[in-house]
Amino acid sequence: MKKIFISIIFLCTISFPQENNSSAINLFSPINTKKFADYLFCQHDYLRAIEEYNRYLLGTSSDSIKFRIAIAYSKMGDYKQSIDEFMEVPEKSQLSPLAKLEIMKSLFQSGNFNELRNYFNLKISNNNFNEKKEAKSLYNFSFLFTNDSLPTEHNFYNAFHSDDLNKIKKFYNWKKDPPEKKSLTAGILSAIIPGAGKIYTNQFWDGLWAFITSVGFTYLSYDNFHAGHYFRGWLFGGLAVGFYAGNVYGSAASAQIYNAKIHFDFVNDLKDFLESHNYFIPVINFCK
Amino acid sequence: MTKAKVNIFIFCLFFLTEANLNAQNYLTKQFDYAKKLFNNEQYFDAITEFKRLLFFDEEGTYKFEANRFIGLSYKEGAKFSDAIFYFTLAEMNAKNDDELFESKMDIIRSNILRRTTSHAIELLDLLETDKRFSQRIKEIYYWKGWAYLFSDKWDDAANYFSQTDSNKTLSTFCKEVDKNKYSSSVAELLSIFIPGSGQIYTGHYLSGLLSLSWNLLWGYVTINAFIANRVFDGLAVGNFLWLRFYNGNLQNAKNFAEEENLKIVNQALNYLQFGYNGTKP
Repeated sequence: MKKIFISIIFLCTISFPQENNSSAINLFSPINTKKFADYLFCQHDYLRAIEEYNRYLLGTSSDSIKFRIAIAYSKMGDYKQSIDEFMEVPEKSQLSPLAKLEIMKSLFQSGNFNELRNYFNLKISNNNFNEKKEAKSLYNFSFLFTNDSLPTEHNFYNAFHSDDLNKIKKFYNWKKDPPEKKSLTAGILSAIIPGAGKIYTNQFWDGLWAFITSVGFTYLSYDNFHAGHYFRGWLFGGLAVGFYAGNVYGSAASAQIYNAKIHFDFVNDLKDFLESHNYFIPVINFCK
Repeated sequence: MTKAKVNIFIFCLFFLTEANLNAQNYLTKQFDYAKKLFNNEQYFDAITEFKRLLFFDEEGTYKFEANRFIGLSYKEGAKFSDAIFYFTLAEMNAKNDDELFESKMDIIRSNILRRTTSHAIELLDLLETDKRFSQRIKEIYYWKGWAYLFSDKWDDAANYFSQTDSNKTLSTFCKEVDKNKYSSSVAELLSIFIPGSGQIYTGHYLSGLLSLSWNLLWGYVTINAFIANRVFDGLAVGNFLWLRFYNGNLQNAKNFAEEENLKIVNQALNYLQFGYNGTKP
């Protein structure tokens, strides 16, 4: 009888996990909904994760879940919604400081630099806030993306960690005095010596070619008029004028293209730096 | 063993089996629910529910079906790369040759629609040499036809379609399209000998005549300069004007042929999408 009793207990211990897994059987129970939402979140299927988290929140309240929903919106690039969701994280919550930093990040990513600065001044700079340095880093960094006057060097640098200072100084100096080429200078140079404007904008071979064609056609025009071949004289003269005018205009345009390129590269460098530093926000791994 | 012991043992066995069946039942219900969403063309929700099924299906009973339906749902939403990812998961979990073949075909059809047709053809070549699927060679040829059709190789497509019994319609159609298309090499070749004739061949008469006139003018000026022993003038006009117009004429002839072909092909694809009732990728 004793053996039978032990056997029953043994069999029941095997069967109970199945029954206790009734939560696993009811796929839509809150606990299973959350489990599934976490899985979707970690699979980067953010839209579905949001749906599942919202379903879970119907029966309960959780700051951590609200925070994840906001992160999911941010990851999807829906910054407006993401900010609204981060705002839902209560002030007293442990996640509140991080939510504020994330709001700044979303404002940054959506290009609302003025709103970001207002938010920083209103909610962070005058308050007792442990992550003030991180927030100040992002605040200062925003000046590198706009044409607003930069803070003083000391004020700018002191927000960043010493490890990054060399890179930050490089960015600051570039922004303060960008190595741009002037369109007017390029145009005038090419008007005086065909092709010189192109060489000024680092287009050496284009400049040389412009010089050869302009001078070559002018010479041919002169030579044909001199020899009494008026059709060819006008033809080469027309080509010379065309090449000359095109070269002057092209040099001015080339300076603009050069400037656009260096600005594009600069912004890309800034973005790479920010991405590698997660916008100065501590990283939380929800998917351990 | 006494009778009481046997009864207790049977009871426990029943209890265990029932619990297992109960769990299975829920998974079946979830599968049916997800499939219903799929059949109702609610593909977003269908994907969610199939993913839920996969997440809770610890024994992997529905791994093939759920992954396949997720793939099919993504495919309906034209998310072909996602579809191929899930079809591949289905392929990895195929339980028999039929399922394996179906999932491979799903991958191929998605590749055709994604226009990665060279990959589709590679996969079809592999299937063709696979002895397990020798019975389904006509099906393989049929999809090879579609892969070549989407690769703009209408003649090859016609050849493969002609090897499948039921699709002489497609074969004839492909031959017709191939016949209607302009040859860009012929257009270019014509323009090499008589500038502008390539454009005229593709039906662009004004452009052809203009091209011919410009080439005659600059050709005359160039030759005239050489005759007058003004070699440098001849080289300058020849290089900067005649050669430029001549090259432009060649490029133009080729571009016109390609543009016209694009129109013909788009018309054909439009017919296949809306007018053809057979199986499509």
